[in-house]
Amino acid sequence: MKYRITHSTVYNYSQPVGLCQNEARLQPRDFWRQRCESCHFEITPEPMDFREFVDYFGNRVVYFAVQQPHRQLAVTAISEVTLFPASNGDGYPPLSWEQIRDWLQDPAGSAPGLRPSQAHPQDQDVEQALLEARYHLLDSPMIAAGSELADYARPSFQPERPLLDVVRDLMQRIYADFTYDPAFTTIATPLSEVLRHRRGVCQDFAHLAIGCLRSFGLAARYVSGYVETQPPPGEERLIGADASHAWFAVYLPGDGWLEFDPTHNKVPFDRHITLAWGRDFSDVTPLKGIVYGGGQHGLSVSVDVLRLA
Amino acid sequence: MRSQSAITGASAGADPDTANAPGVQSYETRLGVYDEMVAAEHKVLPYWERFIDALAAMGSAEIERRRRDTQRLLRENGVTYNVYGGDTHKLARPWRLDPVPLLIGSAEWLTIEAGLKQRAVLLDLILQDIYGEQTLLKKGLLPAELVLGHNGFFHACVGALPARTQQLTLYSANLARAANGRLWVLSDRTQAPSGAGYALENRTVMTRILADIFRETPVQRLAGFFKALDQGLTTLARHNKDNPRIVLLTPGPFNEAYFEHAYLSAYLGYTLVQGDDLTVRDGRVWLKSLTGLQPVDVILRRVDDSFCDPLALRSDSRLGVAGLLEAVRRGNVVIANPLGSSLLENPGLLAFLPKLARHFLNEDLRLPSVATWWCGQAREREFVLNNLDRLLIKPINRGPDDRIWCGAALGKAEQQRLRAAILAKPHGYVAQEPMSFSTVPAFIDHRMEARNAVLRSFVVADGDDYHAMPGGLTRVAWDKDDFNVSNQAGGISKDTWVLADESNAPVAMATPASRLSPVDAASEPLTSRAADHLFWVGRYWERIDGAARLLRTVLLKYRDTQEFNEASDTQCLAVLLRALTHVTVTYPGFTDDALLTAPETELFSLAREPKRLGSLTDNIQAFVQSAFTIRDLWSQDTWRSVDSIQHRWRQRVVNNGLTIDALQSGLDELITGLVAFAGLTGDSMTREAGWLMLDSGRRLERALMLMALLRATVASQHDPAVASQVFEAVLSSTDSFNIYLRRYRSFMQLPMLLELLLLDETHPRSVAYQLQQLSLHIDALPREGQGSRLSAEQRLIVKAHTDLRLSTVAELLSDEDGAGVYSALDDLLADTTERLWRVADVIARVYFSHSQAAQWMTANAPLEDEL
Repeated sequence: MKYRITHSTVYNYSQPVGLCQNEARLQPRDFWRQRCESCHFEITPEPMDFREFVDYFGNRVVYFAVQQPHRQLAVTAISEVTLFPASNGDGYPPLSWEQIRDWLQDPAGSAPGLRPSQAHPQDQDVEQALLEARYHLLDSPMIAAGSELADYARPSFQPERPLLDVVRDLMQRIYADFTYDPAFTTIATPLSEVLRHRRGVCQDFAHLAIGCLRSFGLAARYVSGYVETQPPPGEERLIGADASHAWFAVYLPGDGWLEFDPTHNKVPFDRHITLAWGRDFSDVTPLKGIVYGGGQHGLSVSVDVLRLA
Repeated sequence: MRSQSAITGASAGADPDTANAPGVQSYETRLGVYDEMVAAEHKVLPYWERFIDALAAMGSAEIERRRRDTQRLLRENGVTYNVYGGDTHKLARPWRLDPVPLLIGSAEWLTIEAGLKQRAVLLDLILQDIYGEQTLLKKGLLPAELVLGHNGFFHACVGALPARTQQLTLYSANLARAANGRLWVLSDRTQAPSGAGYALENRTVMTRILADIFRETPVQRLAGFFKALDQGLTTLARHNKDNPRIVLLTPGPFNEAYFEHAYLSAYLGYTLVQGDDLTVRDGRVWLKSLTGLQPVDVILRRVDDSFCDPLALRSDSRLGVAGLLEAVRRGNVVIANPLGSSLLENPGLLAFLPKLARHFLNEDLRLPSVATWWCGQAREREFVLNNLDRLLIKPINRGPDDRIWCGAALGKAEQQRLRAAILAKPHGYVAQEPMSFSTVPAFIDHRMEARNAVLRSFVVADGDDYHAMPGGLTRVAWDKDDFNVSNQAGGISKDTWVLADESNAPVAMATPASRLSPVDAASEPLTSRAADHLFWVGRYWERIDGAARLLRTVLLKYRDTQEFNEASDTQCLAVLLRALTHVTVTYPGFTDDALLTAPETELFSLAREPKRLGSLTDNIQAFVQSAFTIRDLWSQDTWRSVDSIQHRWRQRVVNNGLTIDALQSGLDELITGLVAFAGLTGDSMTREAGWLMLDSGRRLERALMLMALLRATVASQHDPAVASQVFEAVLSSTDSFNIYLRRYRSFMQLPMLLELLLLDETHPRSVAYQLQQLSLHIDALPREGQGSRLSAEQRLIVKAHTDLRLSTVAELLSDEDGAGVYSALDDLLADTTERLWRVADVIARVYFSHSQAAQWMTANAPLEDEL
């Protein structure tokens, strides 16, 4: 499956901006079910300073600075990706969530059947993968594990239940219990508010699921990207009407990270395009910046996910 | 339990029973506590003998006199430690220094020095690993939760360390001695260790206060440490290696250690900057100066790492520089200590240091850490939970409230809560064994008292090796048996004398070896922030001067009215009182006629009320605060004169019941104080950008105050009898009375007064003189090449100055509007005032551009922000 994604962000300012510095995580990363064929930026005014690097999580980041006075900044990233239809979670040993929790705490005393080296031929990779997983056990800037989250999650965590069943159940419950409501939350809405009012957007649901899993000692991460949307039957596809999307992944020793989309109650397959991943939204904000001056500002974002083949 | 030390070593001549004995003979230590002077044997240690004998011989009264001198010197030098909370006017607390230093013998020092250096090397290796390969985490030598779960770990900084042998330039350790006489490290300070500057200032003061004893004692010098620091920072530079620009980044004057930031930057010759003095362009860091952007090579940072870059780290920080981490990644700037080094302050690390010392160095720790259990490990957690009531519990992260729980002091319910908190996030807690610190003699209430002490020691990398400061900052608790030595809790500091076998040759700081090439003095840029503050120091200065002189004149006239009760006096007084309100902009004040008959309350309020905008006290506070913000730019003498202005005013006027007499002498002293400040700045400041700014602010404000005075007094007509009194008062309050008499030798007449105060360019108190000077200063300000075209501020001042020069007294007084106002004169004063305000605005916009506010943007900003 091939897609072209056009993601445009335009800032308008009431006063001139003298200088702005930005970090963009808008380039799809490569991994086992996705290859980024091409990606380029169109930025106006043209940034005098532009550099690409890879962050701690392996995401592609662009740092750019616009150093001349401007009253509008337009950032467009155009990417083409190939998705390899593959899913996860099938055909793996039905390890219970407790086994995995204990293994993450103490891999040396691992239960039989947990032999990560099958999936990771080199010891070095095992160590690296385990370290990554353990980073995602911990609280992060926007997600603090705690008893509230644990209480909500508990019905899914039946004793000795296979982890995959636990996560599928949790995803299904979030999908059923929570109302998608873009008017309710902002990026600053704390998770406890989302939990209390049972409302939020994809980012909140991903944070919620991650917080639930971490409250039970499991490693979970946040994935930022896009999902291809189908127009309602009989209607034309609207260009630019798509949006950024977010879901989560849980770590399974030996298998790596398995993805789940609680907003759609689906396991990402060939319509979820991944940009970046990290502990939560704050690690993978698609576009952030500091501007000097500017006064009031207005913002418009458009995303277009076009299936090419 | 107390024990009287039978001090056999002290052989001082002082009789222990006389009132003047400083109590050396009867020095009381505590049973089971090691004392630095008498150890555990109650016998003065050999290396203390000569020193303590000398003190005993001095006598308690003399030591007390020197203690007071110490405090006076510290206050005059502006040595403060700001204490958070409370109102901003009382923010600065004087630094306290005990006249009795802590002595450390030369043999013991070698052990301490080796231990400190070993720890610095070890911590440096850990830092390099965690921000590099993370082998320690992958191999399980350090638990991932301990390191990655600490808020001093910043994943954005991984891979950002420049390739070099030493990453940690400055390291500091808090040391305390246990009952068995062994020194332990209580905690490590690695991100921006403070205290070295205070240690240096303590030493500077001690060499004056105890000059006689100091000369006789072979004390190791501190200058070498700072020389190594300068050399270490110089070698960090990637560009301009011969003469790199090093800046000291401070959070600003509200930080508790701001004095030290200003002091060190002045001592080391670095520009003192705040975050918005810097900007990142083209991946480099630049200093915003009056003369444009100047590249910065090395940053000595005193801002916590999370606050240093709002783009890559904490987005809500107003103290940092956006893009700083990117400049670091590209190797264009080096920060000491590196961003992220606060992770080494994690107390949980202490539990792993012995193992890591063997891993990296194949050595045991020379200086052990206080016994520490990290709760992230099952066995340790169990031990901690079983022994809660005899341990101290700390979170690994320093939170806003810095909570430490003393298990023994907790009730059952609190213990349960703590237990639950530990079990919920075990990796977030450590437990430590409570330690009793050794005591050291301190001079408290006229006698030697044993007080618990902690030594903060410092280590610096000079590019090749680590060097320990032979000395440090010793702090003791104020109260007996108290273990809290922190400045926030009111502790006292001490100098630390590390003894040498023979006196080391003093190291001169004047020409640091690393910077032998002559530095072009004019090339040291003035930050636009410092320019801004200088400008305001000038303005507040004149506000105080103008108001004080006018108030003094008013008081004299007030006395006349009391004494003679003549109608013309009373009318003149009314004019002056109203003028005082106009000039100080303290409405309604005397524009309310009811106050004119009993003006004392309002006059006192105008003089002393600290919270009243426009009062003298308010302007003095603002003057001192602005001057303090640029403390690094003043000479010692100049700063002392600033301090004494405020100090005397407080003593005379603010803190006492006030009478007209007392206020009058307070005003005399204030004016004399300002004259001293004028003399010192005039004599010691080079005529560069800094002086231009100071004098511009001063000239601008003097013109404004003078014009306000003229408008309120002579721009309207008065009865002849009243008029001549008003003229006389205006002349004397502008220090122009004698000149007037010398020049015109006649009765008071308005045309001559205006000639002198308004139009005479040779008279330093005239409006014309202020505008002429301001015009020269503005022409001399640096500006981008613009050919022969005048800039906005030039056009404004030329217009104001020219209009004044084209005026004649005859024209100005030619028409009177029917209400008794000379309208041409009043219009000229009003127009010129308005232009000068615009000049100030333009200068602020063009030259103090640091004020442009930063905003944080993410694409997910709420939709309500749509324009």
